[in-house]
Amino acid sequence: MVLSRIRNFSIVAHIDHGKSTLADRLLSLTGTMDAKKAVDQVLDSMDLERERGITIKAHTVRLLYRARDGQEYTLNLIDTPGHVDFSYEVSRALAACEGALLIVDAAQGIEAQTLANFYLASDANLAIIPVVNKIDLPAADVEGTRNQITETLDLDGTEALAISAKHGTGVPEVLEAIVARVPPPQGDPDAPLKALVFDSYYDSYQGVVVYVRLTDGRVRPGTRVLLMSNGRSYDVQQVGVFSPDMRPVEELSAGQVGYLTASIKRVADAKVGETITETARPTAAPFPGYRDAKPMVFAGLYSIEDTDYEALRDALEKLRLNDPAFTYEPETSLALGYGFRCGFLGMLHMEIVQERLEREFDLSLIVTAPSVQYKVLTTAGEVLDIDNPSKLPPPDRIEQMDEPYVKSSVFVPTEFMTAIYKLAQEKRGEHRSLEYHGKRVHIRFDFPLAEIVVDFYDRLKSISKGYASFDYELSDFRPSDLVKLDILLNGDPVDALSVIVHRDKAYEKGKALVEKLRGVIPRQLFEVAIQAAIGSRVIARETVKAMGKNVTAKCYGGDITRKRKLLERQKEGKKRMKQVGKVEVPQEAFLSVLKS
Amino acid sequence: MSPAHTEGGLRQTRPGSASADNPSELAPLSSTLADNPPESTELGFYVHVPFCAKRCGYCSFNTAPLEDGTMARYLEALHREIDLLGGIAWSSRVRLSTIFFGGGTPSLLAAEELGAVLARIRARFDVAADAEVTVECNPESVTRDKLAGYRAAGVNRLSLGVQSLDDSILPRLGRLHDARGARVAFEAARAAGCDNLSVDLMYGLPGLDPDGWTRAVEAVLDWEPDHLSAYGLTLDAGSLWGAAGVEGLPTEDTQIDQYWRLARAAAARGLEHYEISNYARPGRRSRHNQIYWRAAEYLAAGPGACGFVGRLRYANVKATPRYCETLAGGELPIASSEHLSKGQRLAERLILGLRTADGIPAALLETRLGGDARLRDLVERWRARALLVDVDDRVRLSEAGFLLSDALFVELL
Ligand SMILES: Nc1nc2c(ncn2[C@@H]2O[C@H](COP(=O)(O)OP(=O)(O)OP(=O)(O)O)[C@@H](O)[C@H]2O)c(=O)[nH]1
Ligand code: SF4
Ligand SMILES: [Mg+2]
Repeated sequence: MVLSRIRNFSIVAHIDHGKSTLADRLLSLTGTMDAKKAVDQVLDSMDLERERGITIKAHTVRLLYRARDGQEYTLNLIDTPGHVDFSYEVSRALAACEGALLIVDAAQGIEAQTLANFYLASDANLAIIPVVNKIDLPAADVEGTRNQITETLDLDGTEALAISAKHGTGVPEVLEAIVARVPPPQGDPDAPLKALVFDSYYDSYQGVVVYVRLTDGRVRPGTRVLLMSNGRSYDVQQVGVFSPDMRPVEELSAGQVGYLTASIKRVADAKVGETITETARPTAAPFPGYRDAKPMVFAGLYSIEDTDYEALRDALEKLRLNDPAFTYEPETSLALGYGFRCGFLGMLHMEIVQERLEREFDLSLIVTAPSVQYKVLTTAGEVLDIDNPSKLPPPDRIEQMDEPYVKSSVFVPTEFMTAIYKLAQEKRGEHRSLEYHGKRVHIRFDFPLAEIVVDFYDRLKSISKGYASFDYELSDFRPSDLVKLDILLNGDPVDALSVIVHRDKAYEKGKALVEKLRGVIPRQLFEVAIQAAIGSRVIARETVKAMGKNVTAKCYGGDITRKRKLLERQKEGKKRMKQVGKVEVPQEAFLSVLKS
Repeated sequence: MSPAHTEGGLRQTRPGSASADNPSELAPLSSTLADNPPESTELGFYVHVPFCAKRCGYCSFNTAPLEDGTMARYLEALHREIDLLGGIAWSSRVRLSTIFFGGGTPSLLAAEELGAVLARIRARFDVAADAEVTVECNPESVTRDKLAGYRAAGVNRLSLGVQSLDDSILPRLGRLHDARGARVAFEAARAAGCDNLSVDLMYGLPGLDPDGWTRAVEAVLDWEPDHLSAYGLTLDAGSLWGAAGVEGLPTEDTQIDQYWRLARAAAARGLEHYEISNYARPGRRSRHNQIYWRAAEYLAAGPGACGFVGRLRYANVKATPRYCETLAGGELPIASSEHLSKGQRLAERLILGLRTADGIPAALLETRLGGDARLRDLVERWRARALLVDVDDRVRLSEAGFLLSDALFVELL
């Protein structure tokens, strides 16, 4: 294949600006997907993606396009997720491309992830084609959006394409622009094989399916390849492309994007960023490597049925095969028994993992309050990484505690500025800069990660009527005055409910927490006292009154079945309770801790 | 056993289409009863009368307004159903010890109509000479003459739906009588010779304060009924109030207070609190309802009626027109049925038996507890709080335990 007729590009944008919808149009225009058979957002193939209407994983597909110059081009498209939890997926995808379509919603304008993704693409030296989407919306402001592109991004807004991915308007021009404006890949098909792993997943039949971008050389079934970072060699079994399903081909060569299988057992053996070369003739210059996606929030995962511990471990192991971004290790809790401390990229990621465990493995889980990872310097001079509040050493053994901070961007219409500053103050934000972009402002804050992981985004959305957008990345650790807040039920501390908070917010937090718990802990035969305490000092208290009455007056006309079914349904609900001491605590109590 | 049924659970439901397009599909359901002889030779018999003059706000029963001609069609179908039930091979081997006309408003039946139904039952079944025969009556639909007619037809127990004696509350409930009418109906029943007479009351009603409740309870107790049922209001999903909500509900504390006021007043008059919602003079418990609470067997006839024979719980189709059609086609109108597994059977015996003051044999509870340490621990806590008490070799809930009973039942399932 001639390199000059290959184009490799990603579609990037803020969440929901229409990446996957545009991908649909490109697929059907090029005949890759029968337009009539197609479902919306075809590339969002996971159940969870379809249900939530969002992209979680990047998806790769090859399109064959006959351009207006009469030539047929191979276009390798990678659709990427917009949610901040998955921005590492975007960086990986970009590493396999020469160009990026940067989509901007004409009604929303530039938002936080538009900017973040723009920087990722321009840092990767890609040709960026700005595309203004959703021009069919009544609220669309195409000219205003072009101006924003010119002003905010270092791009020429007048060159932006104006399209409606939904209706197909302007989409043919997108294909032409890809051909004209994305440079063809460079590379030497006759040089030693050099391929970048930009994604992979585990398939129980074929082993690990490795997504590769070849810069040099060729690979075909039978080629003996070397994974350069771990020195292992494998015989390639199959190579192929996505169109959009996996389709084997004879060979992949320099400049192309596709997949290979080689009976690789674990995703960890073919990590993203890995360089694949020929064992017999290795390349001299491997790729610099790629840093692993680092978990940002940590939470305990426990099965409600104690007997499901083994099942949970198996499930975590299986899930991790395809999601190396999450981590787990065993832990024990006095309240909850044996479980695992898991690390996630963010709350959405955590929800998704939990949902997949419950759904695909039929487990009933308790997730404890999420925590970030603190650095604790002890009086003995050790530095501990603490991601579980109950592991925090007693105060007299702590010399200093540092907490992780993020650099963040908020985009918001000027009228909400005051509200945003108020929220930022509440969340211990430190203002960094402010830029006006027409009717919108771009504010940069530094935040303690702990303040923004849980409900910050929802709060931001609600105070800005949905107009604010938010992006962040981890920056550094800073010393902070932190304390451990314990929760006691009828006098007994419940380790799984402990949280680490800033001293100035401890009282307020403790109060909010016990109130919240009073709302979720059901009434029991006896009164339940809920207390929040720092050390031995109780700072807030609520009680759940003893159950007064819980009775079915009558079994009508001998309809016993109905009565039994009602009770059976209640019993199903009760399964999701965990007995902590004598008190029954529902699943959601543990998560509610940070959302107060 | 019919292959169409699944052990312990899966409930088979008759396909939704109104007419029996495919009668062969229905056959397994109606032959179900025939294939499931009862374990006991004594059965109860429940007859559902699915009509009321007007629906009450809190009511979710299977009932509808009475329209022209529907009563006659219903009665024709009911007679046919009694024939079909009586035609089952094992029917000749059982004896009916109770017959209960519930509703709806059974007292909408004229004495002759009711008499004809009873006569049909007697023609098809062996009815015990001392059988308890109850009819639920609404005060506005009875007269001394009608009740005398019922009695002549063999009715020996009446249950009068009084609900409240507050003339500002009764219309809000959607009831058609007033306090005076209730009293008149009670007197009429006595005058007609009824010596086993029950009154239904409700508490936890919107607008009902504790003193109002005490007045109603005392007034009714002054009438000296043989039996008193008092139901705490629940907002059922299928009722008007359940759907639309209702104003002025008393607080939980008030409802609990009302429960205790009633319990104390009834005890002071020598009535025995023999089931969560039921009180009786010695020897005047409802024999029919005790069949339910003992998880014993009973047949059922009428739209939506539920029966239990062998290990089979079944329910008739609810809609009266379909009920009539199915019977016109010569089929028993069974809509769904379920074979109880051993575990379900045990659970039912526990949760029904514990509704009563007789409780359950301690050994039965022991069977359920088995090696379940958590449940055993929980039951011990009920004992420690005197919610559950041991009486010889039986276990029962105390009056305080009755109030919380569902919290235990859900664990015992
Ligand atoms: N009116 C209109 N709606 C559009 C257009 N393009 C996309 N949408 C809608 O916008 C919503 C989001 O579209 P997606 O294609 O899933 O967006 P995305 O950028 O892939 O979202 P993430 O993958 O979650 O970041 C969907 O409801 C689409 O139907 C358009 O041109 N016009
Ligand atoms: S409560 Fe009784 S009278 Fe009122 S509608 Fe229901 S069945 Fe009829
Ligand atoms: Mg998408």
